[in-house]
Amino acid sequence: MELSTVFQFAAATLLPVAAAMGLYVAEHRTEFGTLPYMVRQVIIGLLFGGIAILGTEFGIQTTDATMNVRDASPLVAGLLFGGPAGIIAGVVGGVERWLAALWGRGMFTRVACSVATIAAGLYAALLRKRMFDNKLPSWSLAFAIGVVVEVLHLTLVFVTNMDNIPRAFTVVRACAPIMIPCNALSVALATLAVAILAKIKLHKAPPDRELSNSIQAGMLIAVVVGLVVTTMFTAMIQNNISELQTESLLKLNIEDVSADVDDALNEKLLNDTRKVARYINSVERAKTLKMDEVAQQFDVTEINVIDKTGTIVASTYDRFIGFDMASGAQSKEFLVLLNEDKKEFVQSYRNISYSDAEQRKYAGVVIDGGFVQVGYDAVDFQKAISEEVPEAVRNRHVGESGGLVIADATGIVYGSQNDAGTETLRQTGLADALNTAHPGEVFVATYYDTPVVAMYQLAEGYRIIAFQPVEEAQFSRNVAVLVTEFMEIIVFAALFTVIYFLVKRVVVDNIHRVNRVLGTITAGNLDASVEVRSNEEFSSLSDDINTMVDALKRAIAEAAARIDAELEYARTIQSGALPRPMEPNPQRDGFSIFAQMDAAKEVGGDFYDYYFLDDNHFAFLVADVSGKGIPAAMFMMKAKTLIQSLAETWLPVDEIFTRANNQLCEGNEAEMFVTAWMGVVELDTGHVVYANAGHNPPVVGTERGDFEYRKARPNLVLGGMAGIPYRIYEMDLKPGDIIFLYTDGVTEATNAQNELFGDDRLVESLNRHSKMAMEDLCNAVHKDVDDFVGEAPQFDDITVLALRFEGRK
Amino acid sequence: MDINLEHVGTRLTVTVAGRLNTGTAPEFEEKLIPALKGVEELIIDFADLDYISSAGLRIVLTSQKIMNRQGTMVIRNVKPEIYEVFEMTGFVDFLTIQ
Repeated sequence: MELSTVFQFAAATLLPVAAAMGLYVAEHRTEFGTLPYMVRQVIIGLLFGGIAILGTEFGIQTTDATMNVRDASPLVAGLLFGGPAGIIAGVVGGVERWLAALWGRGMFTRVACSVATIAAGLYAALLRKRMFDNKLPSWSLAFAIGVVVEVLHLTLVFVTNMDNIPRAFTVVRACAPIMIPCNALSVALATLAVAILAKIKLHKAPPDRELSNSIQAGMLIAVVVGLVVTTMFTAMIQNNISELQTESLLKLNIEDVSADVDDALNEKLLNDTRKVARYINSVERAKTLKMDEVAQQFDVTEINVIDKTGTIVASTYDRFIGFDMASGAQSKEFLVLLNEDKKEFVQSYRNISYSDAEQRKYAGVVIDGGFVQVGYDAVDFQKAISEEVPEAVRNRHVGESGGLVIADATGIVYGSQNDAGTETLRQTGLADALNTAHPGEVFVATYYDTPVVAMYQLAEGYRIIAFQPVEEAQFSRNVAVLVTEFMEIIVFAALFTVIYFLVKRVVVDNIHRVNRVLGTITAGNLDASVEVRSNEEFSSLSDDINTMVDALKRAIAEAAARIDAELEYARTIQSGALPRPMEPNPQRDGFSIFAQMDAAKEVGGDFYDYYFLDDNHFAFLVADVSGKGIPAAMFMMKAKTLIQSLAETWLPVDEIFTRANNQLCEGNEAEMFVTAWMGVVELDTGHVVYANAGHNPPVVGTERGDFEYRKARPNLVLGGMAGIPYRIYEMDLKPGDIIFLYTDGVTEATNAQNELFGDDRLVESLNRHSKMAMEDLCNAVHKDVDDFVGEAPQFDDITVLALRFEGRK
Repeated sequence: MDINLEHVGTRLTVTVAGRLNTGTAPEFEEKLIPALKGVEELIIDFADLDYISSAGLRIVLTSQKIMNRQGTMVIRNVKPEIYEVFEMTGFVDFLTIQ
């Protein structure tokens, strides 16, 4: 192929690719993309139709056919841009190809080309909609589609030219190796180019592969394997058939020629014999004639005259006279002429009865009183053959362009199509192959440089060789294999498509639908239900899922109701465990107090407690258990009871904490702990002893608004580590002093800006509300915290305790 | 919250960044406690820790108890606000804070 032709093909292949890239960019990066869908489709369709026309009009002429890359355009339009575009491009390209026959484009493939181009557009549109869901196919699948459409195209060349299969075969054989790869490559490259422009990942990691992709890949492998296997089988079977056909064709021709030559030789010898017989006329007359002279007169070598007894009575050879014909197998055959019913007899060239060393061909004709036998010796025979053979071979053909050669043992050709006579087997090129071949077997040779399949047979002293060009001998096989292969590609493609559609429609789509609903269910919408009812299996799956979701919904509702009820009980128990708000008489008791616990959940981990130890000593504490919910609430109950029971034994606060800590550490598998601040105030004097187990420091102040933290180095939280001692601290309250205890739910309350309420805001809040009664003070501080937090969610319990010391009057 | 564990022989260095509260503490516990097996020297680096709640304190307490049995535990680079929490809860008494 010339370089310019290669460039031409490359250009024709790349044109649709370039157009696809340009249009993709136009559609996604320019205002072209804002046009209505159908308008864009028509424009794209017409453009690719135009490229298809270019393909037709600038087809590439080779000796056997005109080739073009036309079908790629509607495929690219349909697969990459949309069904309507593909159909329009196909129709434009196909109709133009039909009309183009009017101005000189090939008539022979007119129907096939037009139909194939329109089919390409329709096929692409169908695949895009049904198989690829309007997404880009993979480039490998695009390539396969290109192959299938071109195969369909070339098969149509056969189908539409059934009356001229040889020409169709020539055209297809020339086109297939170029047009199939060019068109397929064009579609694949266009797909790849657009995919790169769209930045689609072409190779997904295996775990992410969609089911439909796996099916596509699996089926593609199965189809390719099936194709290869069946092609091999077909080729093998067709090869066998074709060999058998060739063998019988060659054999038949050899037999025919052999019979022709025999007939001619027999007839020639009989003719001579008849003439001699007519001349001799009778046995009696023969005895009067000199046979040498007769032989000379009729130009034959040997004449024998045999009487009724089967004895030679006259002969050109004196030694034969008196020979009894019945005495030898060869001569005995002629005795049939002594019967009434047979007048003539011819024998093949063979050893004679008289002497094993001599070979003759005889004919006999009846005369009065016996018969005349005329014989050819070797020289006569060869002469006769050389006269008769050319005629027998000259107009004979084996198949379309095969022929026959007849040669003697020395390799001189007597007859062939070449009308030679001086030709030798060596010249024809058959000589070497003949030497190694056996008679009646097919062998491969060359005849004047044409590869041929040949066969030879030995006849009477000569060889008959029949041959047929290999190409012609294998023509039917090649056509059969090609057509079968094409049909298989089309059938497999159709199977692939249909099975894929079915699997997708029956399984994949349904799985996607089920998955979508399951997605909304797992996202929390338990009211969604699966309704995929296109077949029994999915219908039953839908029912099962719905039943399960319903059961789950019921179970959740029941569990929620039970937990709600149990939590409500726990809450009641917890709040029951906290002391009732007491209404101390400030004049009589010397103080007033208020405390409240506001749990973030139903039950909390905070607690407060207060009780008289005797008339003059009042204990009060605030504590915070690490953790939340039921576990914290249970730990809180344990801590509260423990502290109270220790307090009632008149232990000092540091000892209460030391012992409580040791007991809380025992069996504390959950590693919980509690911070606590506990004080005991002597009501007569305002003297307070207190201990702090890792708790926030109290705030102390008066109604003048002079609150400040009363910090003393805390000990470790209770329940943290056994065996540690707790320190005791003291302070004195003057009448009018307020001591405010709280948990970190107050100081660490957080607003939407992630700011903490903090120590300063607490002091500021207390100062602002310092003139209030204790209950109002607690509520006001709580309200300030609530206002600060606003809409932000709260996770911690909030506990406050306020005690105002008045002093007993 | 970012948690990073680095083993060198029997020494384990743990860095924690962000907020150690009720929400993030379970993750810290799941990573730290199993990793303590065989550790003889535990270093906890709180340089980038902004906040610690009682749930976080609980894990510090648990690991201190474990390390009391099998080696030493040191807490490093504690920010003032975190130190304040350790102080207020009395943790400073039994933690080794550098």
